[in-house]
Amino acid sequence: MIVCHVRGHRVRAEELDEHARATWLSRLDARAKLVGVIVFVVVSALLRDLSLVLASLALSISFAAMSRIPATHLARAYLGALPFMVIASVSVFLFGGLENGLAMLARTSSCVLALLVLASGTDTFDLFAGLRRLRVPALVTTLLMLTYKYILMMSEELSRMTVARKARGFAGGRSLFDARGMKVVSYTAGMVFVRSADRADRAFDALTARGFDREMMPWRRSRIAAPELSFLAWFVAVSAILMMLQLGVAI
Amino acid sequence: MHIPDGLMDPSVALVGWGEFLAAIAIALFFAGKAVREKDLPRIAVLCAGIFVAQMLNFPVGGGTTGHLIGGMLFALMAGPVIAMVGMTVILLIQALMFGDGGITAFGLNAVNMAVIAPLSGWGVYTLIMKVLQHGTPEPKASGLSKAEGVAVMAGAWASVFLAASACAAELAVSYAVSGGTYGIAGAVSIPAMLGYHAIIGIGEAVITVGVVAYVSMAAPGAFVKHEAPKPAEGWRKVASSKVVQATAAVLVVFALCLPLYFMYSSEGADGLEKTMEDSGVTEGEAVLTSPFSYGEDYFAALFAGMLGFVVVALSAIGLLTVIRSRKVRTEQA
Repeated sequence: MIVCHVRGHRVRAEELDEHARATWLSRLDARAKLVGVIVFVVVSALLRDLSLVLASLALSISFAAMSRIPATHLARAYLGALPFMVIASVSVFLFGGLENGLAMLARTSSCVLALLVLASGTDTFDLFAGLRRLRVPALVTTLLMLTYKYILMMSEELSRMTVARKARGFAGGRSLFDARGMKVVSYTAGMVFVRSADRADRAFDALTARGFDREMMPWRRSRIAAPELSFLAWFVAVSAILMMLQLGVAI
Repeated sequence: MHIPDGLMDPSVALVGWGEFLAAIAIALFFAGKAVREKDLPRIAVLCAGIFVAQMLNFPVGGGTTGHLIGGMLFALMAGPVIAMVGMTVILLIQALMFGDGGITAFGLNAVNMAVIAPLSGWGVYTLIMKVLQHGTPEPKASGLSKAEGVAVMAGAWASVFLAASACAAELAVSYAVSGGTYGIAGAVSIPAMLGYHAIIGIGEAVITVGVVAYVSMAAPGAFVKHEAPKPAEGWRKVASSKVVQATAAVLVVFALCLPLYFMYSSEGADGLEKTMEDSGVTEGEAVLTSPFSYGEDYFAALFAGMLGFVVVALSAIGLLTVIRSRKVRTEQA
């Protein structure tokens, strides 16, 4: 069983893409999803008025609910992103008052939630292939794909190293001033790099043997059809309304 | 250090995107030439490894923990140009898959961690190596020499510290520009970020030097360790260009003179204002309120000044190009 640490949580490899099957969201073309959600996120980040920020948060939450991705999964991922948001909000609260602080928390939450739903509701390969079809350079998308695959591989290697280290009685590395401990920790990291490099070459050969190429064009391509257009139209319309209300309120 | 969506003032985020796109376009151009098909898995391993390393927290003291940025490590193992592309890939995965760092703030995050961190680390490293080795690098079969160790540690520390300074300055500028709706006040963000990251930098330095020492000992050929930047020729051309030298000189002089501005700016109005005051003319309501201000502290003002310089320089170049193309067309006609 492959276990990896994602944002401090132990996640099995299958779980990462588990929710990206069999929902209406996963069947949509990745390009439409990317464009729609990113438009919404950009507009949400621009909102200043508290009631509008809350409205965008409500929209994000309802998007999450409609996507049928388990709430526990989203909540865990959201908690991982929370600390920096809270620090920022508290600091805004101290300097700019309660309303600004609340708006900051709600605004960041709304954006993070929408992105998490997009990521959890899309097969990873589809997501990156969608980016490629949106003209992101091939070097970047190929590296994205390979990196994502290798993250699991390296976490596995790392946990094996940690077990080996423990088995030899190592218990240091708790403090920055424990020079010996830090040396062992950084040597472990180096060892993970060296060992993974060999495995990576083999994995890449296996991928190319199965027809993976740098262009990352999937064999079965989805098209932009009525469902995609309505998804896109809904997000663009909602974003446009929020933006117009924001401009209207500000004047 | 991952800035989420909605924390930065939109204008600052937009500037960040502009800077990021310019930098990544250059990096992709050079990386596209340098990368061969069989290098791809090695580079991806580095990306994955640094992603994993960023998830490992080490204690800083006072109950807080820090994590690696890894820009310096990447630059040492694959060269600075590829490091810029690779760090961008890591940040993209974090932003898209894990909600760590926002979409609107992605430009700023990438400028801090994918451009400033690897480039400054690499720059400090090469500088120290040059000074310590007097220009005659002795290639060692394996392992790190003392000089290399010092250079790597200094580079790693500088990469974290400079990236954090940039982040703090962006927060301060956001606060100043938006009047408190966005960002964190410079009085808080700058000392907090710098103090915190001066310590995190030590951790980064220790871990980076350890990893590099191990890799160069165990598998010297596993990564492209001391790749001299491929486009050295092109870079020298750029560096020797009069325009670039003049730009650098102007910016350095500006940065050095800025403290004087803060010392003397409070007293006295400038000539025009003094004259207006004397003659009893008051300034009318401004027709256009600028979205930018000159900032209230050193970093904010430095950022605003650089921004102004770049905008002016770009528009001047654009104007000159238009004029030149007109001239060519009329000559042809």
